[in-house]
Amino acid sequence: MEEDRQETTAESGAPDAQRYMDNWRRAEADFENFKKRVELDRAESARFASTAIILNILPVLDDLDRAFKSLPEKLAHLTWTDGMRLIHRKLQATLEAQGVTEIKALGEDFDPSIHEAVGQAAGEDGKIVEEAQRGYRLHGRVIRPAFVIVGNGSPPEKNETEPRTRSDDAGG
Amino acid sequence: MARTVGIDLGTTFSLVAAMQGGDPVIIPTSEGERLLPSVVAVSKTGERLVGWLAKRQGVTNPENTIYSIKRLMGRKFKDSTVQFDLKRLPYKITEAPNGDCRVVMGGKEYSPPEISAMILQKLKTDAEAYLGEKVTDAVITVPAYFNDSQRQATKDAGAIAGLNVIRIINEPTASSLAYGLDKKKEAIVAVYDLGGGTFDISVLEMGEGTFQVKSTSGDTHLGGDDFDQRITDWLCDEFKKQSGIDLRQDRMALQRVRDAAEKAKRELSTLQQTEISLPYITADASGPKHMNIMLSRPKMEQLVMELVDKSIGPCRQALQDAGLTPAQISEVLLVGGQTRTPLVQAKVAEFFAQEPKKTVNPDEAVALGAAIQGGVLKGEVREVLLLDVTPLTLGIETLGGVATSLIPRNTTIPTSKSQVFSTAADSQPSVEVHVIQGERPMAGDNKTLGRFVLDGILPAPRGMPQIEVAFDIDANGILSVSAKDKGTGREQKITITASSGLSKDEVEKMTRDAEAHAADDTKKKEEIEARNTADNLIYQAEKVMREHGDKVPADLKQQIEGKIAAVRSAMQGQDTAYIRRTVQDLTETMQKIGASVYQQQPGAPPPGGQAPPGTGAGGEGPGKGKPDEGTVEGEFREV
Repeated sequence: MEEDRQETTAESGAPDAQRYMDNWRRAEADFENFKKRVELDRAESARFASTAIILNILPVLDDLDRAFKSLPEKLAHLTWTDGMRLIHRKLQATLEAQGVTEIKALGEDFDPSIHEAVGQAAGEDGKIVEEAQRGYRLHGRVIRPAFVIVGNGSPPEKNETEPRTRSDDAGG
Repeated sequence: MARTVGIDLGTTFSLVAAMQGGDPVIIPTSEGERLLPSVVAVSKTGERLVGWLAKRQGVTNPENTIYSIKRLMGRKFKDSTVQFDLKRLPYKITEAPNGDCRVVMGGKEYSPPEISAMILQKLKTDAEAYLGEKVTDAVITVPAYFNDSQRQATKDAGAIAGLNVIRIINEPTASSLAYGLDKKKEAIVAVYDLGGGTFDISVLEMGEGTFQVKSTSGDTHLGGDDFDQRITDWLCDEFKKQSGIDLRQDRMALQRVRDAAEKAKRELSTLQQTEISLPYITADASGPKHMNIMLSRPKMEQLVMELVDKSIGPCRQALQDAGLTPAQISEVLLVGGQTRTPLVQAKVAEFFAQEPKKTVNPDEAVALGAAIQGGVLKGEVREVLLLDVTPLTLGIETLGGVATSLIPRNTTIPTSKSQVFSTAADSQPSVEVHVIQGERPMAGDNKTLGRFVLDGILPAPRGMPQIEVAFDIDANGILSVSAKDKGTGREQKITITASSGLSKDEVEKMTRDAEAHAADDTKKKEEIEARNTADNLIYQAEKVMREHGDKVPADLKQQIEGKIAAVRSAMQGQDTAYIRRTVQDLTETMQKIGASVYQQQPGAPPPGGQAPPGTGAGGEGPGKGKPDEGTVEGEFREV
């Protein structure tokens, strides 16, 4: 009995061995690829680990930007205001140190890889006429596109968006 | 080798997943996002854009930006749903000679499968870049209610994109696979899928690994976007009450409110209330205006209650069509991002009278399930190699009867692990290696697998010899344990075959015991640790006194001897806290040795100053003793 069984396995053994060998090679290859992938993912997630927290801090920076844009003339020269400006700049510098950079928008050609159109207004066709919210990159990757208003080709008339654009120009 | 992917081709978003190391994973887009908007456009410069880029330029180019193409797949132009969508979609939809729909983009006509193909192509390209391999085959999901022509259209889209569509599967089936339900024998599954723009409920009957759709229902225009709209409306109303300004008239402000509403909704899935704070949201003659509104979870639930209720009607319908009662449903699965809202979960639980399952990321379940199906079809899920795991922790007994683990439970085998141990007493000639199995922290409470003695250790102070203990489990579960004196090279080993292991019932019992005794065991372990610390400290103290006793003033010497005796007597008792107190006391007193020895040096520097060179052995001893004491102290203060 014992011998019989051994013989049968020996006979069918070759294709089995071939299959096991093949599976083993595949498993090894899969594992090698998996290791490479994990290493890439790890490096990537280490580099971009701060993305979520930075995205949560950016609205605070936006609010500060807005606050300075609407700074009343009579407050502009107070030393208290200078202090707030320093805080604003410090927050920007802190983010820059983390690898955060601003995306250029105003006056640029609209580019959907870095800008998100939220409206259209009078102005040169395809040019950005207003930046509604600044966009940012982290280590070169867009983490938040700039929200922009794009010119629609009609001549810039004296419509209601005009004065706002001007003041934004001065602020930005 | 060419890869197979699973694709969730959705109405608003699409995802792609692939099997990696036996598990399905979502592949991010080239922009680093896990979702790809199902949007295609031809820009004014004639460039074709897909996904995020197409979505971002939509406002400037609405007539050439195609979204929600899934709503037109395989449908006739005269279909009532097409006629309904026609009015809501900003791009042009025309009728093809055969009665199908066509959409116009960049002045050219495209069939819906051609548009879908552009989305699929982008997913394919991104997947290839991520995997570093060619992607040729795909499993694509469709709603369970899709008819033959809609399925054919989806298949055509795959072919146009250069994909060999090996199977079209139903979205609820894919979700069930992601939840691992195919491993069950028989079940009746309800899949509740509330996404961004559509709601589907499907009842499936599963048997022997196959899924059969019993009934489907839903609402093609109900989803998370409606929830956001309700919250946005409420915020605008509240702001108008406070300031008299209607933010709906200011597109920029409205955009900010909408984003904040969506964020608040997400936050309220975990928090009871959230603050919506939008400074400088607008301005009037009196100056800038800020929005600062609190939204509580009950308030939000009140706002969206009607929408959630709207989903229950179709659930009732689906059960009725399947001829089933809620009690006959064995599993309820939640899919789609909007099911994260606690109110949705509660309503579903109430209707089906059972807790729905929500362990798989609801945005990703469909794509993950499609990848699993692909893996099964392509034989990537191999049956030959069944990897086993160790059911219980394996380790050895160390000083004071503590169980020290070497291989934690659920480690995939074959595996090996080694760790260096040492002696507990001066001139200890041998060590006993007691191999144990179990989850309890004390060796005595675990199962003994074997023991052996390694002798011939050369006389040395405690802690000096290095004994390397190595565990190795082979693929058949056979455990070999070896101990090697790294100094002399002497080695002993033991092999424990799987037969001396435990039955499944025993494993379960031991795991249960460990849980039941967790609190007691921790206490016991702490006691042992306190004793070990005390034992170690006495050893250190006596050593210091032996070596430098002559430099220590008599009164201090007496103090220390008294404190050593106090620690010893505390160790006789069971009071862990008392042991720790005496240990701390002794540690603090010991520090005085250093101070007094250094002060005896001529011209001794003030504390913290640099020791002059040539203080010799006298200065070195206590200095060396100190870090040890410091460690001990730190250890029990932490506890």
